[in-house]
Parts: sequence; structure tokens; C-alpha cells
Amino acid sequence: MRNDVAIVGIGHTAHGELPNFTANQIALDALSAALADAGIDKRRCDGLITCQPVSTTDGTDLQLGALAGMNPRYSATLNYGACNFSLHLGVMAIVSGLAEVVALVYGANHRTRRTDYTVTAAASDLGPLSGYHHIAGPAAMALRRHRHLYGTTEEQFGQIAVGQREWALDNPHAIFREPMSMEQYLALPYMIEPLRRPDITMISDGGVAIILTRRSLVSEHPRPPVYVRAIADATALGGEDDVLMRPMMRRTATDLYRAAGLGPDDVDVLYVQDPTAVWTLQALEHYGFCAPGEGGAFLEDGRTRRGGTLPLNTHGGQLSESYMWGWMHLVEAVRQLRGEAGPRQVSASTALYASTLGFQKSAATMLCGVAS
Amino acid sequence: MQPLPDVNEALLAPFWQGLRAGQLLVQRCASCAQLQWPPTTRCASCWSAELAWEPQAQAGTVWSFAVYHRAFHPGFADRVPYAVALVDLDNGPQLPGLVVEPRSELCIGARVVAAFEALTDDVTLLRWRLS
Repeated sequence: MRNDVAIVGIGHTAHGELPNFTANQIALDALSAALADAGIDKRRCDGLITCQPVSTTDGTDLQLGALAGMNPRYSATLNYGACNFSLHLGVMAIVSGLAEVVALVYGANHRTRRTDYTVTAAASDLGPLSGYHHIAGPAAMALRRHRHLYGTTEEQFGQIAVGQREWALDNPHAIFREPMSMEQYLALPYMIEPLRRPDITMISDGGVAIILTRRSLVSEHPRPPVYVRAIADATALGGEDDVLMRPMMRRTATDLYRAAGLGPDDVDVLYVQDPTAVWTLQALEHYGFCAPGEGGAFLEDGRTRRGGTLPLNTHGGQLSESYMWGWMHLVEAVRQLRGEAGPRQVSASTALYASTLGFQKSAATMLCGVAS
Repeated sequence: MQPLPDVNEALLAPFWQGLRAGQLLVQRCASCAQLQWPPTTRCASCWSAELAWEPQAQAGTVWSFAVYHRAFHPGFADRVPYAVALVDLDNGPQLPGLVVEPRSELCIGARVVAAFEALTDDVTLLRWRLS
């Protein structure tokens, strides 16, 4: 399937607080923007894949298809959803011939709904009874373990949050746009020690949509195509040792590089879905940008910051832009590979986007611009 | 008020009864001997339905811990800052728990013992205490 599918449209709403809009309305606004970017009418889409926001009944293909007045040949809904999972299903729909133009859609209003992230469905989950709340809890555990094993310093780890803020300064969509120096970062109190506020995402409202098509059809669309060079997935559904260190990402990386015929040295710009900065630290090691345990040293000299050799989450990521379940990472990767990133533009023809669903699912995509 | 579990829920009722009696009970598969956490109706390894609850050692080692300086649930507001540890039970599963009376010696690798905190007449929760 190498390069058989291309991204030809991206669209999104404002992020932050969007009161008076349902998640489905937000998703439709994003879809409208993506169709306009792709230069097509909704009737050209014969595939619709929707991503349901967590803990809601919104966002199914049945609901969104009805609201949009669409009768695509193929439709589906994923109720988990860093964008890679939806993207991979869309790629499969096109490669299999089920559809040729697929819209991927996500909309959420978690911020105005005040979604409660302290509850869990599993009666056997002792976490909430122990005050072990929020994804930042296990992330704090994983960081402390990393520091214990490898001597990672606060300043090394802080390069992630400080660097993300630096990128966000030039992103008009970013929620956090006040400059933050390393000194300011280190002076902040802990929220869940050893994590500070800027190490953790902020729940936001917003919607994102993406249009995919077959390679042979890219000329129908006005924007430069961005090709899906390779995809890979891994799971740890049945649990695994040291699950908080998320070794499933290493398996994803091995499969991705094999499918792409590329290695870490070929990646020009990196995107890591980052509800916390800890996931980024882990990804640097698991995806082979440095040896296991050397993530701290790798970050130390600003390699992932502006002007560095491995630009990371050039939109500010979920730490500084907004929490869009990884969808905006893909939008930004496309902008960079099209050369549309304005003051954030880096020189890049190949992007790697890594995402996860907690400790159970992992997915990654290698994207290439027309230059490659 | 802290969140309370439904101690009458069928699958976990023996676990909560054990905590009330000062025991840490975990299921073991009668067929392949694998310990099960979370509790289940079929062994996650061999799928046998023959599972029996058995008392575990009440000591373990801290895999890692996090210190909450902010309460995400109002029931924990009067405890901040508080520590939660993930504990590798001796010869058993890894279980999270709030660390009661945390001391400065709390660290990765620290030895802890189970503490049983009675929140109500019906609900006793698993906590950890440095040994």
C-alpha cells in the first residue's frame, strides 16, 4: 500500500471553549472546512469514518451522516481515537476498494461539558479509590521510573514543555501562547509530582476533519497531496510487563520502519500525540531516535526545539496548542509537508506521527510530501 | 466524600470481604495456576473457568509512585499532598494504592505492607504503608 493513499484535505474549528455547540455540530464545521480545503462537495465522499469523543454518545457515523445529509458507500465509527486509528481505517477502506474518497471526522466539547476524567467504568479499577486520577498520574509514575533508572533530570525533561511552548508562539490556533523559559518552567509548582502544569494537556473543545483519496485521484484536489507511505499498529490489550513504559511503541516502530523502508534518520519532523510530555520522552526512545534511557540526554541540547535537527510537534502539541486527541498533529504534519506552515515552517519531506490510546493501543504513520 | 466501590458487585465481592477481614485475596486459576488481576470469570491465560480466591502476601515493592499536589476528586482534597504507589506484590500482581503516612523514605524499590483503611462499616480499602 506504500503511497497508495494521500491526504488531500484538512480542516478544523477554533479550539478552547466553544459553548452552545454540540460535539456533532463542531464535527460538521470541521468537515465543511476539510471539504473546502480538498476542493470537493460532500457528494464526492463515498467513505465516512467518525471518531466518537470519549465518554459520550455523540459522533457516530449514523448521527453525523444524518446531520451532513450524506449516503456514503462505506461508513464506520471508532470510539477511541487518536487520529491514527481513524486514518488507518480510512487507508484500509481505500486500499480495499470499499471507498475512494474518505472523510475522517472528529468533534468534541469536553471543555464546556466538563467531562469528569476521575470516573472509570471498571469496578476492578482500584485507581479512583486510591486518588490515582487523570492520565497524568500514570505518566508521573512512568517519569519517576525513567528518572530512577536513567538519571533523567528535570531540566532535560522540561525541554519538551518549554520547546512546545516555543513552537506555539507562532501558532494562532494555540491556546497557550505566553512565552515560557526553562527558568519559569522549573519555578512552577508540581501538579502531580514530578509533573508540572505545562507537562500536561488542557482539555479543549474543537473539531478536526481530514480527506483521503486514492493516489490516482490526487489531481482532482487543489492542495499538494501528502502520501501515506506506511502505517503500523500494535496493542497491549492483554497487558504487558512495565506497561506504563509502553513498550508497545517499540513494536509499532519496528513494523513502521520495515513497511516504510525508512529508519529514524530519514524522519525530518516528528509528531507525538502528547496528553503528557512523558509520552513524548518515551516515543523518542521507542522510535529509535536515541537509545533506551537516553531520551533525557537527547533532549538536552534542544534538538527537538526550533532550529533543532528533529523538530517535534511544530504546532505546540497538546501541551500548548490544544487537546484534540492527536488529530491536530496530523493537520500540522500535512501543513509542514505542503509547505503551508508559515512562520513555523521547517524543511521536511518525511514526517512520522506516533500516537497511542493509553496503555493498550499504539499506531504510527509515515507521511511523505510530494518532494520525496 | 471519597468514591466508594459497590462491595456487593458479584465479581469483586470476595475481594472487598477479604479487605474487611484484613486479607488481600486474589484469584488463582485452578488449571494453570496463574494469578488473575483484575478478577474474572475465565483465566486470562488458559481460559479455564475454575478460579479460586486465595490470600496473598501482604508485602511488596514500590514500582513507582506519584505525589498529588492537587485533588482531582473533592473526596481527596483534605489529603493533598498525598502519594499513590504502584506496588509489585510479592509473587503477585501490581496494585495501586494510596500511601498512608508517607515518609521521606518513600522511593522506588521501597518495601511496603498492605494497610486496611475502613472508610465505612461496609467498605475497607487497600492502602500501602512503608515497612
